[in-house]
Amino acid sequence: MSALAVITQLFLALPLLALVVNNLVPRETMRHTTIGMSAGVATAQLLAAIIGFVLLSASGESSFRFALAWDAAKGLGYFRVDLVTLFLLACVGLVSLIANLTAFTTIDDHRSSFTNLLMVMLLGMNGMLIVRDLFSLYVFMEVTGIASFVMIGMYKSTRDLEGAFKYMVLSMLATIFILTGLSLLFIKAGSLSFDLLRPALFEGVVDAKTLLSWVALVLLVSGYAIKSGVVPFHSWLPDAYESADSAVSIMLSGIVTKIAGVYSMLVLVRLFPGNMALRGTLLVLGLLTIITGALLALQQQSFKRIAAYSSVSQMGYILLGFAADTRLGIIAGLLYLLTHALAKTALFTNAAALEKRLGTLNVNEMGGLQAKMPVTAFSSVAALLSIAGVPPLAGFWSKLLVLIALWSAGLRGVAAAALLLSILSGAYFLRLQKKAFFGKLNPRWNSVVEITGGIQVSELLLSIATIAIGLLFPLVLLYLQHAGLV
Amino acid sequence: MASVCAWLLGGATLPLMLIGLPILGGLIIWLLKKYYAAQVAAVLVFGLSNVFLCLALYLGGGASVSLPFAGYGFEAKFISGGLSAVLPLFASVVAFLLARYSVTYYRGKKEGGLFLLFFFVSVGFVNGALLSDNLPVMLVFWEGLLISMSALLLIGNLQKPRATIKMLWISGVADLMLMLGVIITIQVAGQSNISAISHLPVSGLGAAGCVLMLLGALGKAGAVPFHSWIPLAAEDAQSPFLALFPAALEKILGIGLAIRIVTQIYDVQPGSPVSTFVMIVGAVTLFIGVAMALIQKDMKRLLSYHAISQVGYMILGVGSALPIGIIGALFHMMNHVLYKSGLFLTAGAIEKRTGTTDLKIVSGLGKLMPVTAACFVVFGLAISGFPGLNGFFSKELIFDAALETNVVYYIVALVGAAMTAISFLKLGGAAFFGKLTLPQGVKHVKEAPVGMALPAIVLALLCVLLGVFNQLAHTFLLQPALGFTESYGGWPESGMLVTLSCVALGVALLDHLYGRKKSGSALQSADHIHYAPGAKQVYALAEAGKLDPYNWLTAVINGFSRVCMQIEKGVSWVYDKGVPGLVRGISSQLHRAANGSLTRYLALAAAGLVCVAIVFLIILL
Repeated sequence: MSALAVITQLFLALPLLALVVNNLVPRETMRHTTIGMSAGVATAQLLAAIIGFVLLSASGESSFRFALAWDAAKGLGYFRVDLVTLFLLACVGLVSLIANLTAFTTIDDHRSSFTNLLMVMLLGMNGMLIVRDLFSLYVFMEVTGIASFVMIGMYKSTRDLEGAFKYMVLSMLATIFILTGLSLLFIKAGSLSFDLLRPALFEGVVDAKTLLSWVALVLLVSGYAIKSGVVPFHSWLPDAYESADSAVSIMLSGIVTKIAGVYSMLVLVRLFPGNMALRGTLLVLGLLTIITGALLALQQQSFKRIAAYSSVSQMGYILLGFAADTRLGIIAGLLYLLTHALAKTALFTNAAALEKRLGTLNVNEMGGLQAKMPVTAFSSVAALLSIAGVPPLAGFWSKLLVLIALWSAGLRGVAAAALLLSILSGAYFLRLQKKAFFGKLNPRWNSVVEITGGIQVSELLLSIATIAIGLLFPLVLLYLQHAGLV
Repeated sequence: MASVCAWLLGGATLPLMLIGLPILGGLIIWLLKKYYAAQVAAVLVFGLSNVFLCLALYLGGGASVSLPFAGYGFEAKFISGGLSAVLPLFASVVAFLLARYSVTYYRGKKEGGLFLLFFFVSVGFVNGALLSDNLPVMLVFWEGLLISMSALLLIGNLQKPRATIKMLWISGVADLMLMLGVIITIQVAGQSNISAISHLPVSGLGAAGCVLMLLGALGKAGAVPFHSWIPLAAEDAQSPFLALFPAALEKILGIGLAIRIVTQIYDVQPGSPVSTFVMIVGAVTLFIGVAMALIQKDMKRLLSYHAISQVGYMILGVGSALPIGIIGALFHMMNHVLYKSGLFLTAGAIEKRTGTTDLKIVSGLGKLMPVTAACFVVFGLAISGFPGLNGFFSKELIFDAALETNVVYYIVALVGAAMTAISFLKLGGAAFFGKLTLPQGVKHVKEAPVGMALPAIVLALLCVLLGVFNQLAHTFLLQPALGFTESYGGWPESGMLVTLSCVALGVALLDHLYGRKKSGSALQSADHIHYAPGAKQVYALAEAGKLDPYNWLTAVINGFSRVCMQIEKGVSWVYDKGVPGLVRGISSQLHRAANGSLTRYLALAAAGLVCVAIVFLIILL
């Protein structure tokens, strides 16, 4: 059994094990350690995914097949990881770690339940990333979704259950779309396995089954778009993020929508390369998302809602990267996903810090807080500059790669439009920074002190990561150049 | 000691000392501004040392020094010889006299130190411009002169810098033309050393280069339409500045360069289009200058218009491209520097003693300032071309060249001469020989101080000397400068020209007497011309500045900038109001649409599905 075989087992085994331990030990005993344990699982997953990435990359294989331990002995291989999914597994680990660090401070009641739900969520996302057919993908997506609804509702911060409810209703719609789409696709292909779905499905003689598979594609794209919160399917997302506790918002914004929605889109893109309709739809959705998200972010008063709409807007760039439909485009999209996750997670930890210290998230009531909360202010500015694409921060490089990918794929107009639209992200973030951290200190906050503990640690970690990745990014470029992609 | 002299006169260091020493002198004189006697001594030391160095250069038969700038393939080369040996010598003598005058003029005035500083800096720059052999290096000094000149013009006018601004605009345009001309010339010649360029063909690109360089040079000298700042400066600036720049240094530089262009750099033939063009510029300059001078009632303004008009003669001579015209132009330039500086010195003496040069306020000073009056008479006769004085001889040479080219030029020149005489009869009659009037509050007017009278006397003597012994000027200055072997000195050959010139002077005298009788005073003796039918309207327009190309251009530029400002406002509006307003409007509409209603969310998602389907259809069909 190779090292990779051991590591891949961890992605399902660790959350399951943590679930068992968490529920066998009495709750009162676990109260102080439960989040620590879940943070440990997240860290282990992060490390496992990174090691797995290095190992797989060194082995020269494109993917690695495995199965649950007892089946693997029989030589079955119904799961698989490749470089893309390992990269995403690492992202899942990273964001979960940050969410746990924040949860130390923000989650007080039902701590064990938090761990339970988080482990289920992790299980769902890991499952999505390792399965080899569209139906299993859907099943694990639902697992993730159910954990999310409960988490939003259970750890509500400012609002009632409305956010969770809306998310659930919209997710049901997505379920309808996806299940219908899958069944229609099954009629034509006779299977939903990644190995059997080929671009050839849409070629040849146009008969009823081919038409139905086109309809299936429309339904799948729409369903996944609801899950990823792409305009015009985005309306549930800000309500959900705002309702949820900051630790949950970090999970939702940082990784859940990305795995549940964007990764599913990526699966479609990788299954059907060269599908012009799919590509065009992603372009249209991407541009629409960037514009609408940014415009809506300009109007918001709540720190979290601004961050939420910014998430919507930034999702557009990832879609644009995928829409380039080249290896470089996919890599650019994934790197964008990582840098955006870092920055957006930082903003939600800032939101947690502000909510904890001020009791409000309304930016109009803030002002001049950089004097009182320098670490929060700094990490927020770093995150803003990264998202707005200011060199040399991480966000600049990934945005640049997306633009290069679009340009080299011949979509020069789209690249120019995307570049121009990034001014809008600068606009709403400048507004946010100006209202919250710059200017004169609102006398109401004279006695406010800087946040401490896990939140400060994650703020610092994320800022350092954003800056360090930005500074070291040329190495990534060299690697990409070596691989002949740039 | 001998070795030091040998080193000094060895030639190699001399041109550099000629640039550095006056600038050093200026600094020292500036530092001595509180001590009048020490300042006088310093002016004597540095002014005379400049003269002696130039003399050494002249007697030494020329020198050459080149300073290579390592690694750039570029060298600054200074050459003395011919024109660039004679002109620095001449300029140094005049500059010394004017400096001596200025010290006394500015005695007790706080701006005197700065004035002398920039005075000497200008002298150093002029030496540099005259001696430099590379066209770009010459341009550096030429432009540097613009700085010292505007500084001099600003002194005492800091609150009202209109003349400086106008001068910078006009000279800037002229210098720009010169610069373009230099670039083209270097391109055509393939190199930038004047001494190595010889008679480039005036055709194609060369014609453009020649005309542009000539315009730049003549613009410096004050040719129409680059003249209009001079009368304005005459209103605002003090007499020493006017004597130094518009009367002396600008003419030496401008005409000197124009002569070089015509005789050496380009192959300008008599009767060629370039020659005709330059001669037309000369005739127009001559006529407009003298016509405007005729009606002036302020001594400095009147003299400033003559500084323009006299340039017209020089341009006529240069433009003819005939040897007699060119030597006449050079001679006339030197004569003009002598008498026009002298005239400004007499105006300065009046200004110093009475505080004004407005002849309506001050007149009839002859008895009170006899020495000044005597000098004025000499200068006035010289500029009018009275036979026997220097102006007469140079003017006759130019008349000769003009007549040889085309009789029209000759007629304009002759009429100009008569009008010059008329205006100087009027000026002299009013300023020195009429009824005594003094400004209010001025009781006792004395003769000018010795420090101011002496330079004027020396200049007057030089005028007589160059007139009576004009053969000397030809032998020792003009012929060596131009390298001519044939002499044009002595009494003019053509008796007819002399006769006609005398007739013109006679007509001028008669006209003056008529005008004086008609109006009753010397000052108004030219009014019958001023208010003659037709002339009156033109003069009114000219005096109102309506005919000044500078004002036209300023109006055009103002209009253009107003248009630009409107465009800028529009663009700013788009950025400041338009785009943000659009963004804000759309985003608030979107915000209002997202009202939290679940049905709306579901409808939106359903609409999204339809959208995706439509996109699919569009792309697939």
